[in-house]
Amino acid sequence: MAQDTNTEQDLGLDDDLIAYVDGTLSPERTAQVEARLARDPEARAATASWRHHDNLIREMAQIADDLPANMRIAALERELAAKLQARKRRAFLMGPALGRIAASILIFTSGWGAHALFNSSSPLRGAEYPQFVSATLTGHYALQYASMQQAEFQPEELDMALDWMSERMQRKIDSPKLERLGYEVESARLVSDDSGPLAIFHFRDGQGERVTVSIAPHAPDKADYALRVVRLDTDSMAYWTDSGLDYSIIGEVDVGQITTLAAAVRD
Amino acid sequence: MSLKAEVTLHTTSLRRYALVLTRDPTAADDLVQETLLKAIDKADTWQPGTNLRPWLFRIMHNTHISDLRRAKTRSDAAPDLPEPVVPDHQHTQLELKQVLQALDQLPEAQRKPIILIALREMSYVEAARSLDVPLGTFMSRLGRGREALRRIMSGVTAGKLAVLNRKGNI
Repeated sequence: MAQDTNTEQDLGLDDDLIAYVDGTLSPERTAQVEARLARDPEARAATASWRHHDNLIREMAQIADDLPANMRIAALERELAAKLQARKRRAFLMGPALGRIAASILIFTSGWGAHALFNSSSPLRGAEYPQFVSATLTGHYALQYASMQQAEFQPEELDMALDWMSERMQRKIDSPKLERLGYEVESARLVSDDSGPLAIFHFRDGQGERVTVSIAPHAPDKADYALRVVRLDTDSMAYWTDSGLDYSIIGEVDVGQITTLAAAVRD
Repeated sequence: MSLKAEVTLHTTSLRRYALVLTRDPTAADDLVQETLLKAIDKADTWQPGTNLRPWLFRIMHNTHISDLRRAKTRSDAAPDLPEPVVPDHQHTQLELKQVLQALDQLPEAQRKPIILIALREMSYVEAARSLDVPLGTFMSRLGRGREALRRIMSGVTAGKLAVLNRKGNI
């Protein structure tokens, strides 16, 4: 009796026999097992029995397919899919996107960001500092900027960016429509500070001139801003409030051109 | 495949699995609903890029274990188990009832691997992950469970033969 028990346990611990029943062996290995089964009636009986029981259990399980549709389950499926989609989007943003954020800091430091800091209405404007001090200040503000940034998106990710921004701002955010004026979106980013989230869109035209548009929820305790156009040192800027959102647009263009661009965003 | 379609596909599998576990369509749907509710709650624990199916099945296993604990012990709950839902064919019905009763005699740790693999919807690795056990442990439980089931069923068949012998039918 004890011998029988041992034999049965050994068969149950034979991974080849188990895999054979489940059809997961290679053709060569399957042939070897079948040769063994031909001369081992106990193993043959065991595998036939395992397979038969599996078939019965599967037949039982498939009855579920004929059960009436369950509306509550269908609703939960939709809710779960939406949750997982949001999870996927967040993971995407917080994964490889971090590398892009780091790259954007470099772009900001060495390029237009530094230009913006040292031109126009920057608090650094007009100050006479040695070059190394300026570079340090640029790095300092770039770091502050980076700490505020939550995500950056490439042009092909703009739809996802708009969804994400809309979710964070709890209102529908549309892309500024500057394409008809010859500008193409280069990137979009979401930054956040004490005053809340701010969506920033960077555009560039065929000549390489950049324009930046920002959108943020308007603070409910403040009056709406009427359209105002400002001439800065080398740049022009416009800002206004519309439908609960604050807009600003800035670029190295004249007042007439910034007004045209602002009108396109407002359109 | 969209995430929605994927979730629907896996829910179909969950429903099949739940029906074998509970033997009752209403209880099976309750288990699926409870599993989906927990999955919604735990959505942030899913790692995008990994297979959704073992993640959902793991939640169902934990939910089922909690349900069993609430029922104190399986033996306490057994008398309340509804009559199994089985296919219409007469001969299959009887045999399936016997297999399900035999499954009930196995430890939970062996029963679930047998059912999971019988459904043919997960690899060994995925099924082991869904039960949160190493692959080696899973294979051992599957093999031992299948053999134990065969032993029980052999006893049932031998018992039937003995009864028929006593009645002089064979």
